[in-house]
Amino acid sequence: MTKEEILRSYLSDDLFIREGYLKDGEAEKYRWVTPGTNNLIDVLKLAIEGEVANESENIIEKKINILLNRQS
Amino acid sequence: MILQSIELNNFMCYAGSNKFEFTDGINVIIGDNGYGKSKLFDAFYWVMYDKCFDTSKKDFVPTNKLKRLLVSDKTLAEMEDGIVTTSVVLTFHNTEKDSIYILERRYKVRKDFEKLTEDPESEEIVRFKEMSYLNAREVTDISQIDSIKRTILPDNIKPYMWFQGEQVESIIDFNKENTLTQAINVLSNITKFDNIIAVANSLKESSTKELNKKQRDLSGDKSKSENLELQRQALAARIKALELQDLQIKDNLATAEEKSETLLNKLAEAQKIRELEEKRKSKERNLQEVQNELNDEQQNFHKRMFTSKWILKGTEGLFEEYSKIYNQFEQRKLVRKVEIQVRVDAENELNKVMFQLPIDVPEPIHLENMLSMEKCLVCDREAVIDSEPWLNMKMLLERSKMKIKTLEEEDETRHDFSADLKKLYQNGLGLSHNINSIDDEIASTFRRLRKLDKRRKTLSEDLSNIESEVNSLIVDAALNPSQANNLLNEYSAQNDLAKRSQREVDSVAHDINKKREELVDIENQLSSLVTGEIPAYLNEKVKVLEQFYQITHSTRKRVFHQLVAMLEAEANKHYLEMIQGNLSVRGVIRFKELSNGKNYMPELVDENGNVLLQLNTGNIILIKLATIMAIISARQGSRATDLYTLITDAPMSVFGEDYTIGFCKTVSKVYRQSIIMSKEFYRNEDLRRQLLTNAEIKLGKVYLITPTIQETDRTNRNSLSTNIKALN
Repeated sequence: MTKEEILRSYLSDDLFIREGYLKDGEAEKYRWVTPGTNNLIDVLKLAIEGEVANESENIIEKKINILLNRQS
Repeated sequence: MILQSIELNNFMCYAGSNKFEFTDGINVIIGDNGYGKSKLFDAFYWVMYDKCFDTSKKDFVPTNKLKRLLVSDKTLAEMEDGIVTTSVVLTFHNTEKDSIYILERRYKVRKDFEKLTEDPESEEIVRFKEMSYLNAREVTDISQIDSIKRTILPDNIKPYMWFQGEQVESIIDFNKENTLTQAINVLSNITKFDNIIAVANSLKESSTKELNKKQRDLSGDKSKSENLELQRQALAARIKALELQDLQIKDNLATAEEKSETLLNKLAEAQKIRELEEKRKSKERNLQEVQNELNDEQQNFHKRMFTSKWILKGTEGLFEEYSKIYNQFEQRKLVRKVEIQVRVDAENELNKVMFQLPIDVPEPIHLENMLSMEKCLVCDREAVIDSEPWLNMKMLLERSKMKIKTLEEEDETRHDFSADLKKLYQNGLGLSHNINSIDDEIASTFRRLRKLDKRRKTLSEDLSNIESEVNSLIVDAALNPSQANNLLNEYSAQNDLAKRSQREVDSVAHDINKKREELVDIENQLSSLVTGEIPAYLNEKVKVLEQFYQITHSTRKRVFHQLVAMLEAEANKHYLEMIQGNLSVRGVIRFKELSNGKNYMPELVDENGNVLLQLNTGNIILIKLATIMAIISARQGSRATDLYTLITDAPMSVFGEDYTIGFCKTVSKVYRQSIIMSKEFYRNEDLRRQLLTNAEIKLGKVYLITPTIQETDRTNRNSLSTNIKALN
């Protein structure tokens, strides 16, 4: 599975439609390079990228924390 | 990667130099039990992993435990002093790159005056040709050798590519928690989803802690907040413990459900084994009774030669002859008796006349008196002793004492056997009546003996049929009679356990919900104590990470289910192909998720989704083989299956011959190259013909292997080697 395929697997979750993060049918077409407008999608991308690159859990968590703390 | 050939030198029953060459498609090595199929599988495995399969232990045993068992007995026996080398060479061809890998393993034993010195370990030699036409160079770097082996057969694929028929049960053991997950791991990147879940769990926990700390920092009543925090932590710990308990109970429940299901599948077979066992015992009793009766009858048969006087059979003429002679004897005896009687009568008459006393002579008593008185009282004269008158008186007295002769007196002087002869005649007369019925009696006894023997044979055949049915059921169901007997009890016990576990699951779920409500209440109280403002980024972070947590869990579950469904569809495709040879089999495979959400059990369901209960072991093995093939075929497209060779020994031995051709067709579709060891084609020549001619089977090389000496004719293996004959 490519990282884009893994991302699409997550984006197919109902939560994205329920929370209005994506419109119906958008998940299937979503590209990895689509610019980030949503924190959850960005977190997913960091997690997937880290996992695909065999990064350690700590590194991935750090990167996600940095992303989510940025607005402080 | 294609396995081009295997060369075996003095390896086990393969004495001397032996070589098998293989091509694309299904390569088959045909041989009966004990002909060397498993040894060939061992040879492949030994080169790669330095181990051979021990059937008794159902596990692989390393060289340092096998030692001289690896070496051909024939070679050792024929060898005079010196070193015997056993070696196996595998040649792999990477057809895309045209490179060659040559893997060799050697083992040495030194023979010195009948004393054997075994090397402790084997020696591994790996050679590599970058292009097939170039010279091979030896690879000495251990990590490079490992890498080559992983290229030939990765560890995660190995269980599904190289296996013994006996291992099928354990490769796909649905009772083991991770079996399907492991298969899914081979099939997919599900571990990546698991790793991301671990990240989500950890981030959720840390962000919650961060928020709680912030809330306490901003609290208007710090002491109350601290107190509430302690309660919150205690509750959270309690909920965690309950969740853990919930998981454990669900595991127990799943195990009980799996066991119940497995037992249910075996219930019919167990019931049948039990019934057959009872029938067997009853037949055994009957057979014993009939055998005893037959033994008695046979013993009596001999006794009756005398007790029923059968020994006289054929002596009818003797009696008649005796009877005739006896009659003549009796007649003669009668005549003689009459003659004697006449003579005696005549003599008596004469005596009467001759020796009768004169009328005037006194009675003998008076004569005696006169003799003693020495005086004749008749004439009144003296009669001195020994004088003439005295002697005359004495003569008269003696004459009076003369007896009359009788017939008996006459006969007393002879040996008389007439009574014995008469007795013989009378006995013979009595026996002559029996003699006439002897033939009937013997015929009737023979009829009875034949009847008993026929009954014994029928019972014996019945018993043998029942025993063979029981044995085949025992093998199929992997149950012995005592297990079959206990199965019903075990089934009830597992059912009870499942019910009990379900009640516990409900009760724990209730507790968890209650505690969660209490936790929400405490968290609300903590929030209400906050006087300042929680930073927006923190609220956002907590929210995002909560959602991250939710979707990582739900997505993993969804992806896993999709993979299971894909595996199920692939397994069904292969299952249906394999059962084509037997139309009585029906149903489709369904992987049923168990209560803990981790384990799956295979079921066969009909077109309406109803579970077909009580699968036999043959069905289960077919389902498992279909699942193994599904794991491989589902990877098609990733080219993974094109890269590896299936090598399996006796995979078809558990299910019937009806499925053998279906299995071969499916294997030749799923695997680019396969090497199958089989006895089915040895015993059934029609099946062998189908294998060699069926256009739907992509056939590679087919070999027939036979031992130089049959197992029954061997006292040892000192002259055993294996003949290899190519059939195509």
